[in-house]
Amino acid sequence: MSAVLFFIAAIVAIAGAFGVVMLRNPFYNVLSLVCHLVALAALFLLLRAEFVAAAQVVVYAGAVMVLYVFVVAYVGGADESVTHFTGGADRPGALRVLGPLFGVAVAVELCIALLGTALKGISGKGAPYVLGFGTPKQIGTEFLTTYLFPFEVASLLLLVAAIGAVVLARRRRGLEPDESLDARLRPARPAYTGTMAEVAGLVAHGDGEAGR
Amino acid sequence: MRAFGLVYFFEPWWVQIVKALVIFGVIFAVLPILIIYERKLLGRFQGRYGPNRVGPYGLLQPMAEIVKFALKEPFRPATAVESLFRIAPMIAIVTAVSALALVPFGNVQKIFGQPVGLYGIDVSIGPLYVFALGGISFYGIMLGGWASGSKYSFLGAMRGAAQLISYEVSQGLALVGVLITAGTLSLTGIVRAQAGMWYFIPQIVGFLIFMTASFAETNRAPFDLVEADAELVGGYFTEYGGTAFVAYLFAEYTNMIVVSGIAVTLFLGGWLLPFGIHPPGWVDPFVVLAKMLIVITLFIWVRATLPRLRYDQLMSFGWKILLPLATLNLLVTAIVVAA
Repeated sequence: MSAVLFFIAAIVAIAGAFGVVMLRNPFYNVLSLVCHLVALAALFLLLRAEFVAAAQVVVYAGAVMVLYVFVVAYVGGADESVTHFTGGADRPGALRVLGPLFGVAVAVELCIALLGTALKGISGKGAPYVLGFGTPKQIGTEFLTTYLFPFEVASLLLLVAAIGAVVLARRRRGLEPDESLDARLRPARPAYTGTMAEVAGLVAHGDGEAGR
Repeated sequence: MRAFGLVYFFEPWWVQIVKALVIFGVIFAVLPILIIYERKLLGRFQGRYGPNRVGPYGLLQPMAEIVKFALKEPFRPATAVESLFRIAPMIAIVTAVSALALVPFGNVQKIFGQPVGLYGIDVSIGPLYVFALGGISFYGIMLGGWASGSKYSFLGAMRGAAQLISYEVSQGLALVGVLITAGTLSLTGIVRAQAGMWYFIPQIVGFLIFMTASFAETNRAPFDLVEADAELVGGYFTEYGGTAFVAYLFAEYTNMIVVSGIAVTLFLGGWLLPFGIHPPGWVDPFVVLAKMLIVITLFIWVRATLPRLRYDQLMSFGWKILLPLATLNLLVTAIVVAA
């Protein structure tokens, strides 16, 4: 049973990863990434890491990817050209050169890691299951005792990133000098539109100049 | 059978399948009742009868509507993306039904000598399971709106996306107060910890934040901007008809049931009764269902009472009021528990 689930999740994960790279439409890229992350969560569940699986779905599929989907659905077009980075047929762009380079580097690193350690696990039964493994309690205890320093450093890093995002995203200056708040709030309107109160002269007309 | 969590060692696999079928069957039998209940109640709130033509007192109205929907042509716009358009309602309903598994309807009972927990699953991650499914259910709304190829659907889906991520944070933080007080993530454990006092008394702020955020998470009034009919026709399911529309409708009502189930479990004492009354074990599910009905009545009451918020009001309320309040609640709870 778990072997069947493992292969389903593994195939979905790999197919999702391929989809992220191969598909042309950015919206489908993001959806593939979501499929990939959910499949990874299923793999975590098979390893009995329930908390990690839930965190994977809540944080990545449920929060980070939501923002990706949000942005891509608004601005992403199916016929968006990427030739600016990849270069045309005649001239090679930066991505054409750097992409394979990094790909090969990652593949070599993975091969070293696989051949170095993981192949020993094939013949064995794997680590025994300890009661309480992967529960929030165990993870919390580990975080606050054994791995306290890396945990705090990571939270500091996240804090810095959050503050940096706020600083980068905020509006740098206030209104333009010649731009009044009133004009921004009340755009020009065509003639003979507006409320009854404006017609009766009880309140100022939204934009008198454009109206006449 | 330590398949998922630590508490399954007493249940064979067939018990779990039977439990899943029973919970699914009961809740899906309740859904049409809930729909007619809401429509009748809304009618009374607005000084009219509500549906009263089909069957005695109009009680067979949902049946007539379901038959009508089931016989409709599965229409889709020419601009729609076929595959995603079909998958999206399925995601919505599958995640909603899966979340039902977590609601505990009672303690462990002996049925024909076989100990059975009156709940779908009791996971060690507790409410995180619901949040994970809630994160996926977002894609049901989002893909439905996007794949419809219509601007109204798309805008409705976008509002849903923004609303969901804004209020999920407050909802989660409101729950953490309860989890700290109970000292466990298991939902049955949380109910047992409420034997002395139900948590909505010490955690009243958390309860109010949770309920407010839940109205937003389930897209119910006054936070139903996702389907604001005056602006967006029907929101993300504008282009859906027939059974796909019913799938979205049932997903919304199932989400409402799940949220009220979680509220009952975490704040209203689950299957426990006040004043030291200890009924036999088979009463427990009915106690939980009765409490859920009260919470659902509150949902309907609020829908009939409050006007819909404006979009900027929704966002500033979520981020500037609800989130700081939830954080403060969490801090105070942590200090009180630690002290």
